[in-house]
Amino acid sequence: MSKPSDLVQGTLDLLLLKILALEPLNGFAISLRLKQVSGDVLQVSDGSLYPALHKLEQEGWISAEWKTTENNRRAKYYSLTRPGRRHLEKEADNWGRLAAAISHVVKLKET
Amino acid sequence: MRPERWIYKLPLRIRSLFDRQKADQELDDELRDHVERKTQQYIAAGMNPQEARRAALLEMGGLEKRKEECRDARQVTWLQDLLQDIRYGLRILRKSPGFTSIAILTLALGIGANTAIFSVVQGVLLAPLPYSQPDRLVLVWQYNLTLKHPISVSYPDFLDWQREARSFQQMAAYDSQDRNLTAPGTPEHLNGEEISSGFLSMLGIKPILGREFSPDEDKQGGAPVVLISNRLWRNRFAGSIAVLGKSVTLDGVDYTISGVLPADLRLLGDDADVYTPIGQGDPLIYGDRTIHPVLCVARLKPRVSIAQSDAEMSAIQEHQDQLYPSADRGLGASVKPLKHEFVADVSGTLLLLLGAVGIVLLIACANVANLLLARSAARTREFAIRSALGASGARIVRQLLAESVLLSLAGGTLGLLLAKWGVRPVLAALPGSLPRSENIGVNLSVLLFALLASVAVGILFGLAPALQSSQTDLQASLKAGGRGATSPHHRTQSSLVIVQVALTLVLLVGAGLLFRTIRRLWEVNPGFDARHLIAFNVGLSPSANKTVAGMRVAYQQLIERIRNIPGVKAAELTILFPLSEHQNIGPFWVGSQEPPSSALAPRALYYWTGPDYLRTMEIPLLQGRYFTAADTASSQPVVLIDTALAQAYFPDKDPVGQAMTIPHWGPVRIIGVVGHVRHWGLDERDAYTQNQIYASLNQLAGDWAPLFYRRLTVVVSTPLDAAAVMPAIKAAVYGASGDQTIYGVQVIQQSLAQSLSSQRFPMILLGVFAGLALLLASIGIYGVISYSVVQRVHEIGIRMALGAERRDVFRMVIGQGLRLALAGVAIGAAAALILARRLSSFSHLLYGVGAGDPITFMAISAVLIGVAILACYIPARRAMKVDPMVALRYE
Repeated sequence: MSKPSDLVQGTLDLLLLKILALEPLNGFAISLRLKQVSGDVLQVSDGSLYPALHKLEQEGWISAEWKTTENNRRAKYYSLTRPGRRHLEKEADNWGRLAAAISHVVKLKET
Repeated sequence: MRPERWIYKLPLRIRSLFDRQKADQELDDELRDHVERKTQQYIAAGMNPQEARRAALLEMGGLEKRKEECRDARQVTWLQDLLQDIRYGLRILRKSPGFTSIAILTLALGIGANTAIFSVVQGVLLAPLPYSQPDRLVLVWQYNLTLKHPISVSYPDFLDWQREARSFQQMAAYDSQDRNLTAPGTPEHLNGEEISSGFLSMLGIKPILGREFSPDEDKQGGAPVVLISNRLWRNRFAGSIAVLGKSVTLDGVDYTISGVLPADLRLLGDDADVYTPIGQGDPLIYGDRTIHPVLCVARLKPRVSIAQSDAEMSAIQEHQDQLYPSADRGLGASVKPLKHEFVADVSGTLLLLLGAVGIVLLIACANVANLLLARSAARTREFAIRSALGASGARIVRQLLAESVLLSLAGGTLGLLLAKWGVRPVLAALPGSLPRSENIGVNLSVLLFALLASVAVGILFGLAPALQSSQTDLQASLKAGGRGATSPHHRTQSSLVIVQVALTLVLLVGAGLLFRTIRRLWEVNPGFDARHLIAFNVGLSPSANKTVAGMRVAYQQLIERIRNIPGVKAAELTILFPLSEHQNIGPFWVGSQEPPSSALAPRALYYWTGPDYLRTMEIPLLQGRYFTAADTASSQPVVLIDTALAQAYFPDKDPVGQAMTIPHWGPVRIIGVVGHVRHWGLDERDAYTQNQIYASLNQLAGDWAPLFYRRLTVVVSTPLDAAAVMPAIKAAVYGASGDQTIYGVQVIQQSLAQSLSSQRFPMILLGVFAGLALLLASIGIYGVISYSVVQRVHEIGIRMALGAERRDVFRMVIGQGLRLALAGVAIGAAAALILARRLSSFSHLLYGVGAGDPITFMAISAVLIGVAILACYIPARRAMKVDPMVALRYE
């Protein structure tokens, strides 16, 4: 059985960057938001979420900060850095081009 | 990579490295928090708490695995592993101080010796000369095409070259000259140099006071000016700024001081005190195209190669040959890098020593590797447990390498200290002097060498044991005894010992061949009786009569005063003395028929001496007669020749009575033949010519006398000790007028010993290295054999229980060691034979001994085998005393 979320390498990174571009969030909130935006099409397991976040953090695209949440718990909030924003723009462009190219190929009429 | 990202990345990396616990704690908090929220979420959705938690954890897919993935994202695990390895390695090494200190000491000796020799090689061979852009500096030689030998340059030719050559930015001439300073202060002999104007600026040297010579001063009739050394400036003028314009008196002429040179200046390795313009030098020497006194130093133009300049100089010299056939025909020219000329003599020896000391290091490595192997056999269970717990083979290898590199770095540090403090005293204690030895010291490249050597050595000796440990059979090792794992160790250990023995043999053979060479050289008859001779130089008092006759009388009186000293058997004057590194070479020809060019005439060493010189030196007269007092300026010019000249030019007739011609003097008659003298050192390896001609100073032509009389050597034959007789001799010399200089006193027996320094220096060092190697190798054999005895206690017990005699056991153990030693000796002998052939062909170190000298090879093999048997003796005794009951019960 193939997992749809593994289809395109780097898709998860792109999604995470995009989600964090909207507002800083903690890991749990990100997992909720992921489900919300992609529905059941992209099933991102909690297991792959955190390594991906940590990788982005170590790459310097996002940064993390410990904050107290609404119900008085401490949580690690991730936000996009300036280089991360530039990276997102570039990746989004790439994605757009790739998606357009693939959908063009897919739509070719068979003769 | 944009720097901005690093603002975010760097703190994270640093935290991962140095605050790992906090980072891990936070990671744990974060993931736990997530699981908890998820659980809450599921509970809210109606699950029971236990199920909810299980579901949340399942979704995470194994908390520890995720953590590990997150940690991997930090990209510093390798560094953390390394730090861990180092910490662990330090702990392990601290736990066995005996092993650690032996290993570190062994390595310190090996790396220290290598660092020391490398610092010598670096200082002498590798470091650039202390001039500006030194690699553009060259020496230009004339080249005697008949004798195939580079020679110094005649000054008129130099001037022509200077005018015509286009390859060089600048060309300068240089010649050494003995000087007698008589004012201000007490008389003193000084080393002087005559140099072209612009020579110093060409090298990039500026006087600290005053200026260099101008071209106007660098010619006949120029104002007499002198540059003085820093030493002279401080000693004679108290370092006063007002020194410029003052004068010093050299050989009776007043020179005005035009500049003071920087301290510690060594111009082309010479240590001179006064520098005068070469253009003002004696026209008898510097005006004659057939006399070749000067060294020509030049700076290549940018982008001109040595080969190009060499081609140009050859063409120019060819033109000279046509312009001045009687002087220059048969001469070529050649250009050589300046540094090469400085160090070419010693480079072979130094590289040989570097190779030898490298072998010592290899042997030391083999010893430490053997220690490690024995240890790793004992640690087999530890590694088995580690790999059972999940450590990969590579991880274990890395950990063991970290241990061995730690060892070698510790050894390297200690070795560096040894080298730093050891080099100078050792160099000072060794016979002979190295060129540029003032450059030797611990600097950045030496540090780098020590570091690289340490790391390389650590990996070298650590790799074999580490690889073997990583491949142990888990099952076998974890079972009680773990004996199954020891046999590959033992094979490796045995081959290491064989290699050690082979390498040691190579070193011993090298040292042995040099030792035999020196023995041979000691047996060489130098051609004169060296036992009771003292030689020293004297300068003539400026108050002596400056006419030639006056000088002759003054010297005659001096010699008479010395002869009258009690205990002096004989004394005489000479301008040239064997083994003194001085030479006085000139052309001659048999009969009166002049060869077409001076360069085509054969060469001889000219000894201008007092009439009693040959008798004083006890050089045997073989035919004819010695000089007598009757041979004077007004009688027929006569010479004595040595056997080499007699055999080469009068092979089948009696040379006595034959006519020869000596340029600048005229036709002469041979009155006798004397024995050949080893002028160039006992091995005569640098001999430019073997021919020797003796002429009497009493017959010296008047215009040459002042030149020759500036510096004469007195040889004294006395059965007394030099120290006992020298005060009286000094008093006698000073007696004349109190302003005569005496210097360069040498006891000939000692000079003779010193002339062997080019062999003694490497022999002593090679001997030390070989001794070290022998020690290390015998420790290696001892270690391996006693280890194997311990391993075989059980077997020996069984043998004895079955009736083996103690004698048989003893023989068995000795035999085991002997087999290793024999294998090593066989391999080593083959290697040594090849290497010795190679060495003798390029370094000329051997004399009178073949590279495959059977006596040396046999003696050294015997020594090595003897030492091996000795090293096996203690373990063999131990094996003999094995009590079969104890050995069997132990199991």
